Amino acid sequence: MTATFQYLSQEWRDEAEKRLTIELPPERMNFVTSSMSNIYQNCPPDGSEKYLFFKFENGKFAQLLVGTGTPPKAEFAIAGDYQTFAKITRGELGAQKALMTLKLKLKGNMVKALKLASLADRLNKVLATIPTEY
Amino acid sequence: MTHHTNIKNPYFIDFPKRIKDIQAEMGSQGIDCYLGSRLRTLSWTADAFCPWRSFVVIPADGLPTVFTFVIDAARVADDSWLGEDNVMGFAPMGGQDQIEQIADFIKDFLKNGRGRIGVESGMSNYLPEGWLTHYEYTQFQAALSGCELINAHTLIDKLALIKDQGTINRFKEASRIVDIGHHAVFDAIKDGGYKGMTETEIAGIAALAMRKAGSEWEWSFTGGNEIASGYRTGFAGGACTPASRRQLQPGEPLMVDIHAMFKLGLGDHSHNYLMAPVTDRQRWHADNFVDIVKTTLETYRAGTTPSLLAEKMMGFAEERGFADYMVPGFEHGIGLMGDEWRIGLNDGPFPYWTNPDHVYQENELLICAMQYACPDDNIGFRYENPIVIHADHCEPLSKFPLGVDEIR
Repeated sequence: MTATFQYLSQEWRDEAEKRLTIELPPERMNFVTSSMSNIYQNCPPDGSEKYLFFKFENGKFAQLLVGTGTPPKAEFAIAGDYQTFAKITRGELGAQKALMTLKLKLKGNMVKALKLASLADRLNKVLATIPTEY
Repeated sequence: MTHHTNIKNPYFIDFPKRIKDIQAEMGSQGIDCYLGSRLRTLSWTADAFCPWRSFVVIPADGLPTVFTFVIDAARVADDSWLGEDNVMGFAPMGGQDQIEQIADFIKDFLKNGRGRIGVESGMSNYLPEGWLTHYEYTQFQAALSGCELINAHTLIDKLALIKDQGTINRFKEASRIVDIGHHAVFDAIKDGGYKGMTETEIAGIAALAMRKAGSEWEWSFTGGNEIASGYRTGFAGGACTPASRRQLQPGEPLMVDIHAMFKLGLGDHSHNYLMAPVTDRQRWHADNFVDIVKTTLETYRAGTTPSLLAEKMMGFAEERGFADYMVPGFEHGIGLMGDEWRIGLNDGPFPYWTNPDHVYQENELLICAMQYACPDDNIGFRYENPIVIHADHCEPLSKFPLGVDEIR
C-alpha cells in the first residue's frame, strides 16, 4: 500500500525534495538560479498561513522549506488560498488560469516569470505525483 | 549598446545624469517618487520606444524602473540603457496588473507607505501624449492611500527643453535619412516617372529608401509619410495629409512630407513639387511660399518668440499679397519620440498650448512648420524641418534644397 502524505507536512516536504532532486536534474531546470515562495492562506484546520519555499542554484535543487509566518525572501512570491494551491497540485486548475482569475497573486518580475513558467509547470507536475491528503 | 556607454559616441546621452537632475528637482519640490506616463517622458528617461501603455517610476535615489505591457518588456529592456531588472512587464494576472504592481513598487520607496507622488496630468492636441487618465489617477490614489498625487510634469518639461549634443546629433542623422527619402522620391517622379503613381506609392518609395538608410519608423502619428496631391495640398489650414490612393496628375501640386526616426531622434521634412504644365498662378503661389520660408528661417534665433516671428512673417505675407493663404503658425515643438506638440513650458494664456511669448533659447529644437493653402486654386505647400536655435541664427537639420521643383 502506497504511503499518503499530509499536504505541506514535514513528511510531504521530504518526499517532495526526494522526487524533485531525482526528477528535475539541472538540465531539466535549464540551469536556472531562482527562488520562489508559495504562500498558502486559510490553511486547514485553523486558517493559518503557511509557505513553501523553493530555491534553485544553477538548475540544482538547493532548498525546500515549509513553514508558517513570513517566508524567506524570494525572487517570486505567489500567494493564494490553500484550496487553490491544492487544486493546482491535484491538476484540477492551471496555475495560469488561477493567476488570470485573481485566485493567485504573483509578486516579482513578470518578464522573468514568463521565462520560468514552463519550469514551474514541471515542478508542479512532480509535486502532483506525491500521494497527498489535503 | 555603445551609444549608451561610450561618451565619445555622437549619439551618447548621459541618461544617469538626467535621472540625477530629475531627482535633484524632485528633492527641491518635496516629491518622494515620480510616476511618469507620457510617451515623451518614457523616451527621455529610458531611451526606448514604448508604444504600449507604459510608466516610469523614478525614486528619490537610484535607477528608474519602466513598467510596460509584458509582451514588449523584454524588447524595451534590450533597447533601453536600463537592464532587465529595471524594466518590468505588467499583465492581467493577480498581482501583476499595472495599478497593483506599480503601487506596490512605489510603496517600497516610501517611509510608512506615505509620501508625495509626482504624476503627469494635462491635455494635448497630440493623441498619444500619455497623460495619466482619470481612471488611472483614481486607481493609483486608492492603491496609494496615504500618498498625495501632485501634478509635476513641468519638472520634466523644464529639464527636457534645452537639447544636449547627443539628442541634436540623433536628429541630424534622422534628418540626413529623410533627405535620402526625398532624393528617392525625386528620382522616382522625375521625367514623367510620376505618371500612374499614387500618393501611397510615393509614401512607400520614401519609406523604403529611408529604411534602407537606417530609419526605424516613419514615426509621425499623422499618417507616417504624409503625401498630398492636387486639391489635397490646399485644404484650408491643412497640416495633416495621410497619403491616399489618389493618382498624381499633370498640372497639379505634390506635397511630400516624410518622417524618419533614428534612436528616437525625429526627422521631419516636407518638400513640394509642381507637375508640369505649371501655370503662372501656380508659380506665383510657389514663389510666395519659398520666399516666406527663406525669410522665416533667417528670422529664427535665440531671443525671438513665436508671436514676434508670426507678426513679422504675416506682415511679410501681407505686403506680398498672400497673407490669406498663410496659416499663421510657424512651428511646433519636438523632442525625442512622443514630444511633438507644445513649445516650451505650460505657461501660456491657454493651458497646454504654446505660449506665444515663449522666448527661444540656444539649443532649443523645434520643427519650423509652415502651411500655405489656397483652396480656391486647389494648391498648397508645406514646409517642415527640425531647426536648432542658435544665438544669432537657426540651423535647419534637413539639407534638401528649399524650393518648389517643377517635374516634367
